[in-house]
Amino acid sequence: MIEFEGVRYVYPNGVEALKGVSLRIGEGELVAMVGPNGAGKTTLIKHMNGLLKPTEGRVRVFGVDTRKASVAELSRRVGIVFQNSDRQLFSETVEEEIRFGLENFGFSKEEAGERVEEMLERFGLEPYRHASPFSLSGGEKKRLCIALVLAWDPDVLVLDEPTVGQDWANKERIRGLIESLLKEGKSVVVSSHDLEFVWSLRPRVLVVSGGRVVMDGRAEEVLSRDGIEEFRLLRPRLLELYMLLKKKPRRPFFEVGELEEWVKAEVGG
Amino acid sequence: MIRDVAFGFVYTKKDSLVHRLDARIKLALSAYLIALSLMAGDPFGLLLSAAWIASVALLGKVGRRMGRNLIYATLFSVVIFAVDLLSGYGLVDAAIYAARFEVIVASASAFFLITSPDEFEYVMRWLHLPRDLVFSFVTAVRFVPVLMLDAIQITDSQKSRGLELEKGNPVKRLRSFIPILIPLVIDAVMRSNSLAEAMEVRAYGATDRPTSLYEPKLSRSDWIALALSTVAFSVSTIFIL
Repeated sequence: MIEFEGVRYVYPNGVEALKGVSLRIGEGELVAMVGPNGAGKTTLIKHMNGLLKPTEGRVRVFGVDTRKASVAELSRRVGIVFQNSDRQLFSETVEEEIRFGLENFGFSKEEAGERVEEMLERFGLEPYRHASPFSLSGGEKKRLCIALVLAWDPDVLVLDEPTVGQDWANKERIRGLIESLLKEGKSVVVSSHDLEFVWSLRPRVLVVSGGRVVMDGRAEEVLSRDGIEEFRLLRPRLLELYMLLKKKPRRPFFEVGELEEWVKAEVGG
Repeated sequence: MIRDVAFGFVYTKKDSLVHRLDARIKLALSAYLIALSLMAGDPFGLLLSAAWIASVALLGKVGRRMGRNLIYATLFSVVIFAVDLLSGYGLVDAAIYAARFEVIVASASAFFLITSPDEFEYVMRWLHLPRDLVFSFVTAVRFVPVLMLDAIQITDSQKSRGLELEKGNPVKRLRSFIPILIPLVIDAVMRSNSLAEAMEVRAYGATDRPTSLYEPKLSRSDWIALALSTVAFSVSTIFIL
């Protein structure tokens, strides 16, 4: 679905941000990209809808070489939600903000209207329909930014640092949204420094460092490896606890509830 | 395009003879270049000015950046040339005005490329300009690259929402910049507000006469550069006039 083949990318100032990345993201897959600042995560993301074209190698999105398609064509299938909400909003009302992308992608007036209603309802933004997007709280802005991308129903949703500046309740909403998108058969790519959040999603994890994908595998396999600190990654607490146990269950705990159940079963009561 | 134009006026750190000069000498040098560009009224004068600017750019190792900026300035020069022709000026005069614009842009670009915002501050303080004015100006210059990066990020976000900047007639193309300009301005206003608060908590404005860590002093090479450029400027002026 999204394939990187030996992708190298050099910015105009000479910085080599990607040094030969090869990977494949399949249908219905949840992929988390983690790694230190400046590792190349955002550069990788920007290759997924053609905002950046590889200096060397090839990126194919649903079989289309990104060099041969416009950003708009690719974005129709790969929706990216960037980190900073304020840098995406500009309309007078929340409703118009959602409608903007739909108009760009040529949706009919009726269909655009239906989709706007659907998104307002799904993201709890109905009360703010006529409000300025800039008057929303940080959490509401983040929800709006996700809604305005999901409005055109892309096959892949890419979230760049979705939990930055979000409180616990908003993180839970985002987590719930990701889970429901996966149930709908969509693929989700999350780039994040928030390993506790990433862990709770049980994703496939790509560790990106120095412009390379240095580890790739299931979260429990990658994050329990020795030496992940080298990539400035702090192991999630539940996994750390699991690794310390002498007598442990077959699978690590992904949620506190799972730990609670295990303790009850082991200790009783 | 916006990037190339803006970065043609943004300080570029290099290890060069010109970069090592005192900021006041750089200012004098730039004043000479701009004065020569304004005085030049014939092809010879313009060529002479262009030669001086090219020398400064080469010595300062900023030729490439300036060159990219000038490619876009040429677009405006063509417009100036066309407007002058339509206004009844002769071919030669129209060409001279267009070339003069190019030379003035190049001399301004040369100054900004070799002078850091901190050096601006020294010069403006040395000129005893009001502190608030100095601070506002220096901050504005310092934030040009930051705003450029913001503009690039906002453009990426809006392109990802299907915005196509290169499509449609000129009016549609202009309108498609609205989704970029509004977040950029709002972000800049929010950023300036945060900066004002941050400055205030660091006691900005607590005294009218703040002390300075740096006391700029002219070195021998600065004096030599000043003498040489003044002689060169005087000789060039005689030739041009």
